[in-house]
Amino acid sequence: MKGYIKPSPVIILLGMLLLFACARDAKEENTNVPLYIRQPAHFPKPVYTFDNNPPTRSGFELGKRLFFDPILSLDQQVSCGTCHAASAAFADPRSTAVSKGVFGRSGLRNTPALANLIWYPHFNQDGGINHIEVQPVAPINDSLELGVGIANAVRILQNHPEYPGLFERAFDSDSVTAARILWAFAQFMGALVSDNAPIDAFHRDNKPLPEKAMRGKVIFDESCAGCHSGVLQTDFSFKNNGLNMGSNDIGRAEVTGNIQDEGRFRVPSLRNVEYTAPYMHHGQLNTLNDVIEAYSTSIAAHPNLDPNLPVGGFDFSSQQKEDLYQFLLQLSDQTFVNQSF
Amino acid sequence: MKRFNSNFKGWLFMLPAILIFSLTACSDDDDNGNGNGDAAASVTIKFDHGWGPNHLPFAINTALMHPATQEEITFTKLRYYVTNIELHKADGTVWKEDESYRIVTVEGNSSVQELTVPNVPPGEYSAVKFMIGVDEDRNTSGAQEGALSPAENMFWDWSTGYIFFKAEGMSPAAPNGQFMYHIGGFEDPHNAIRTTTIAFGEQRLNVVAASNPSIHLKVNSARFWHGGISLADVFSIHMPGPNATTIADNWIGAFRFDHLHN
Ligand code: HEC
Ligand code: HEC
Repeated sequence: MKGYIKPSPVIILLGMLLLFACARDAKEENTNVPLYIRQPAHFPKPVYTFDNNPPTRSGFELGKRLFFDPILSLDQQVSCGTCHAASAAFADPRSTAVSKGVFGRSGLRNTPALANLIWYPHFNQDGGINHIEVQPVAPINDSLELGVGIANAVRILQNHPEYPGLFERAFDSDSVTAARILWAFAQFMGALVSDNAPIDAFHRDNKPLPEKAMRGKVIFDESCAGCHSGVLQTDFSFKNNGLNMGSNDIGRAEVTGNIQDEGRFRVPSLRNVEYTAPYMHHGQLNTLNDVIEAYSTSIAAHPNLDPNLPVGGFDFSSQQKEDLYQFLLQLSDQTFVNQSF
Repeated sequence: MKRFNSNFKGWLFMLPAILIFSLTACSDDDDNGNGNGDAAASVTIKFDHGWGPNHLPFAINTALMHPATQEEITFTKLRYYVTNIELHKADGTVWKEDESYRIVTVEGNSSVQELTVPNVPPGEYSAVKFMIGVDEDRNTSGAQEGALSPAENMFWDWSTGYIFFKAEGMSPAAPNGQFMYHIGGFEDPHNAIRTTTIAFGEQRLNVVAASNPSIHLKVNSARFWHGGISLADVFSIHMPGPNATTIADNWIGAFRFDHLHN
């Protein structure tokens, strides 16, 4: 047979030596290669730098499998991917106002899109979670989302026919721990980089936007970018935008206990916003045009309303509304939503 | 990406390295880790839980009368983090344990819980210091292992942070018949991290090679209710805040020195 190497004594000796050496070291070398995670030049420095969790192909693959596997839900029907689907920029493709978890239970908030999470200083719309690695503990424990519980999740995966082997590949040990589950999730979610929208070409290569969108950008920069700033369209602050529309969710105050934080929510990134309807923390606005209309005519007075927002609204002309709408479409990254998982 | 050179001559070059590697790679780590080659000494810390200043018997699932508030209280759970253990010498030098995170769980009929601190360097120690809680660093740096695993359920998932201690149970003094203290918070102004330094008086903990001396502490489990706090006033705490810091102030006062075994 062509290419067949005759087993010379040296090779046999080598083979025996390797057998006596820890088998797992050899295995790691063979299957687990570092994963390159893109850091676009026009983005700021990431917050999460994978310091204790170097991303690898096997770690990413494990995280991806966990993300889409309903095994981590109480009714075995729901996965992270049920609420966060690639086709909806990792928001909910079912367009429910608030999330729907195990046994069809309604959650408390609208499901946000997931992208560029390694640039996030905190997570959730009240900023309650301080690190990308611990974020998945919340949906795993929450009886309105996956509900299986993190301690249970460890047991289920440890007793599974395939998962221990996948942990072995990713972490050099087939013992499943909560930390390893979380590191795998962070590798998968951290790799979800969206940097290929027309707005990126504009920032990166000075490629102009279509004319209406260019005009929309001027309006956006003046009226919106005070909060929705930078390439991620957010400064990650907590603001009351006057559009809570009867939602009794106290938002940031849930975490801080301060009444000045009532009705404040994290300023969201608007990347891929075209695909993530409905909008706001409670899904109270159905379409992007509804959002623009609401900023134009329905900003409600509130003790915590941000001073940059005029009570009543910006009173945009129909031309301005159309231009703003065209601008928001420039934040859509089609390569990102068309990835197959 | 290819990490190993598939060129056969490359392998030959690596032969000596592989030889050495295979001889040492799998040896069990029986080194004691303190780097000085002495047989390891370990120190046991015993937490002996009692009830009230007179150290009456304490147990989970047993109705007890609080000596100060006269409230009847039955614990169903008592768990707390003991972390960042240090041993101090009379000359002021300090030995700090690395990765020092443990949970004490009071269970069943046993009111004495033991922690073993391995690899303590020999010396005469005059005090032990520890933290009840988890330092800010581990509250803010993502997934942790061991006692800090979120699978221990001593972790708030919706507003990140460790629950430094849990005391739960029943009492007719509480409006709904139950009390639940989940105490944590690592940020000002609601920082509930507390440390205590417990001196051994004139006595010295004598750590010599291969020894296992022990420190015996008494823990007053009634101490949550101290300084005018009664269970009827405060029966449910589930997030950082002024109530949590008050209870944390009380609980750190529960630990006192009893005796040493050298
Ligand atoms: C039932 C639907 C549902 C499931 C299942 C679910 N999520 Fe979410 N996810 C949400 C909602 C709703 C929020 C927003 C929560 C909030 O703001 O309080 C969210 C927030 C997040 C965030 C923070 C995003 C941001 O903008 O700050 C991340 C990351 C995330 N989820 C990852 C996951 C992972 C990983 C899983 C699986 C372990 C998962 N989610 C399962 C609905 C879901
Ligand atoms: C004072 C800060 C602030 C300003 C100015 C502001 N926003 Fe917002 N925006 C927010 C906050 C906070 C939210 C989230 C509110 C919530 O979740 O209920 C939000 C949400 C949104 C959303 C929904 C995103 C989603 O995924 O649900 C869109 C779209 C949006 N803003 C567009 C705009 C536009 C267009 C303007 C300018 C006309 C604007 N914003 C001005 C703070 C601001």
